[in-house]
Amino acid sequence: MSSSTVKPGSNARPTAERWSRRTRASSTWFAGSIRLFLSALREIFDESAYARFLARHSISSCPDAYAAFLREHGAAKARRPKCC
Amino acid sequence: MTKSIRILVWLGVSILGALALGTIALHRGEQINAMWLVVAAVCAYSLGYRFYSKFVSAKVLALDAQRATPAERLEDGRDFVPTNKWVVFGHHFAAIAGPGPLVGPVLAAQFGYLPGTLWILAGAVFGGCVQDFVILLFSVRRDGRSLTEMAREEIGVVGGFVAYVAVISIIVILLGAGALIVVNALKSSPWGVFTIAMTIPIALLMGFYLRHLRPGKVLEVSFLGFVLVMLAIWGGQWVSQTPTVAPWFTLTAPALAIVIIIYGFAASALPVWLLLAPRDYLSTFVKLGTIGLLALGIIVLRPTLHMPPLTRFVDGSGPIFAGKIFPFAFITIACGAISGFHSLISSGTTPKLIRREPETRMVGYGAMMAESMVAIMATIACCVLQPGIYFAINSPAGVVGQLPETAVATISGWGFPVTAAGMHALAQAVGEQTLFNRTGGAPAFAVGMAHIFSSSLGGQAVMAIWYHFAIMFEALFILTVLDAGTRVGRFMVQDALGHIWKPLGRTSWYPSILATSALIVAAWGSFLWQGVKDPLGGINSLWPLFGICNQLLATVALCVATTIIVKMGKARYSPVTLVPLLWLVAVTFTASWHKIFDPNPRIGFLAHARQLASSATPSPEISRLILNDRLDAAVAGVLVCMVALILLESISVWVSVVSGRMQARVREAPFVPTRFAAEERV
Repeated sequence: MSSSTVKPGSNARPTAERWSRRTRASSTWFAGSIRLFLSALREIFDESAYARFLARHSISSCPDAYAAFLREHGAAKARRPKCC
Repeated sequence: MTKSIRILVWLGVSILGALALGTIALHRGEQINAMWLVVAAVCAYSLGYRFYSKFVSAKVLALDAQRATPAERLEDGRDFVPTNKWVVFGHHFAAIAGPGPLVGPVLAAQFGYLPGTLWILAGAVFGGCVQDFVILLFSVRRDGRSLTEMAREEIGVVGGFVAYVAVISIIVILLGAGALIVVNALKSSPWGVFTIAMTIPIALLMGFYLRHLRPGKVLEVSFLGFVLVMLAIWGGQWVSQTPTVAPWFTLTAPALAIVIIIYGFAASALPVWLLLAPRDYLSTFVKLGTIGLLALGIIVLRPTLHMPPLTRFVDGSGPIFAGKIFPFAFITIACGAISGFHSLISSGTTPKLIRREPETRMVGYGAMMAESMVAIMATIACCVLQPGIYFAINSPAGVVGQLPETAVATISGWGFPVTAAGMHALAQAVGEQTLFNRTGGAPAFAVGMAHIFSSSLGGQAVMAIWYHFAIMFEALFILTVLDAGTRVGRFMVQDALGHIWKPLGRTSWYPSILATSALIVAAWGSFLWQGVKDPLGGINSLWPLFGICNQLLATVALCVATTIIVKMGKARYSPVTLVPLLWLVAVTFTASWHKIFDPNPRIGFLAHARQLASSATPSPEISRLILNDRLDAAVAGVLVCMVALILLESISVWVSVVSGRMQARVREAPFVPTRFAAEERV
């Protein structure tokens, strides 16, 4: 609501709305940051790579699927140098 | 934010950074607070990122937001995957952050906190971050090619060969030096040995859990593994205090070396899923958590640095390693300032995940800044200790003597007072029998970290737990590098041998697996054994050799980068990579010269061999030490010759291009417009 529509004497409403908007924006930003952080962890720990493997082969997670993923992914992982 | 406010903010950051650097550099006679280092680092990195990296990306590299990256063009859902820039940042940082930025600054602190701090800041902003950034971008523009492939294509055959040999050399020497650090941290420490030994069954359990119970739930099992490791630390205290059990886990340095060599061989030959992958996950989990915790501890506690800015050892007479600030401080601190190893990561998995070209700036330049900050935290962790304690822990018995009384008399004589009773009390507080002669950097870092943690979390009562947590953290780090490095080295040897006889190149053929694993383990195992047996403390010779190797690889990376910049027709901007390259060449050449020919037996390998030959009665042990010295001298000589070769071949390319004798032609993938730009507009 624009400030021009607010009647004189009711200044508290736009301030409250502004605060509410800011709180919503902050909580959205916070939730987004947490999601991003978890995505980074999932990428670092190869959970995303496993999810992509399942999607690529259209299969669901099971010990055999994970064994196949490890066969494919493990060879690449073992060739990856670890930095000092 | 309006332009004038932005200018004011950056002016404020510049003034604050200058003030902090001035305080660090000019304060004499009074101790300073560690927060000055943190403020100087944050300001230097902020300015470097905002202005220098922007200049490099706009003028030198001309990052193109419209150009599709290989992650988009070659997307296969496996190696090439367009990924959120923050996710790639985390992935890249987790790959480049190892034990190097923790150990190097601790060893170099023998010169005082000032030389190391200035090198970490300047080296990272103008050298390391630039190297990681440009190599990442050049790899992105070449379909994610590796450094060795780019060296072969852009410089020539010699460049490619040197890069290959440098990678093998650095891996072998890194593994030897890393294993020696673990040995020095764990010798005569039943608590540490028990905790680290327990990480092997924990990793096996994690491997079984991941494969059979909850497939793919890596985060969950890593958390479970972390809890079990914490229980192992707690259990280690019981082990160390139980007279019947403690002797089983109290091992001498040679015994530990043998155990680690056997472990390295097993880790290289066993299936990846069983040991290597779960340990890697566990190590990464502990690493990220501990770095965050250490940063928090430093900010909360804001400790005072007891180490002076410069010590008397700037003259080259240092007890931890001999040699003057130039070149040895710049060889000792590699990973926190500039590390050639990072160029392997920047041209490995990371370029295959980059979604848009401009994101290489944040990932390449930004992640190295974070790594450099870890090195600053390591400097703080060891400089909060009283200098006498720092030198008592880090000085080898060959320099300060075997007995506590002799050691404290020598160290106090240097002007750094320390008492045998004080050292005994500290050893008791951290649950060790002794802290004298615990060389390698890891124990000193662990004591400093335990000091910071126990002052902010839990008090003195939990100092022993924090100390062993820090030891476990570093040993786990290094052992992860050890098992992964042995396996990578094995693959590289198999690739090379496959050209001679095809079956040797088959990575699933067990005779080849066993033979090449044995070859690599024997290579780093001999360096380790030499370090364990060397009376002057093998880290003396191994760490500078490792530094020379690492800087050699950085030299190769910067030669590749400079050559590409010249071929792009931007020779006027080549100083961006040429200046750090020339600095590294000066450092590597001077360090190699000293390590081979210096007349001081504590520095020069050949002088040490001559001293042994003339002063001692001949024995098989002495003959072996002399042979080791000559071998080290030969390794250093070969490395410096390789630097010269690659530099000469690069200079020849630059001169040919600039003089117009050679047509400048870069081997970039053809331009394809990105679809992400259109998606953003929608």
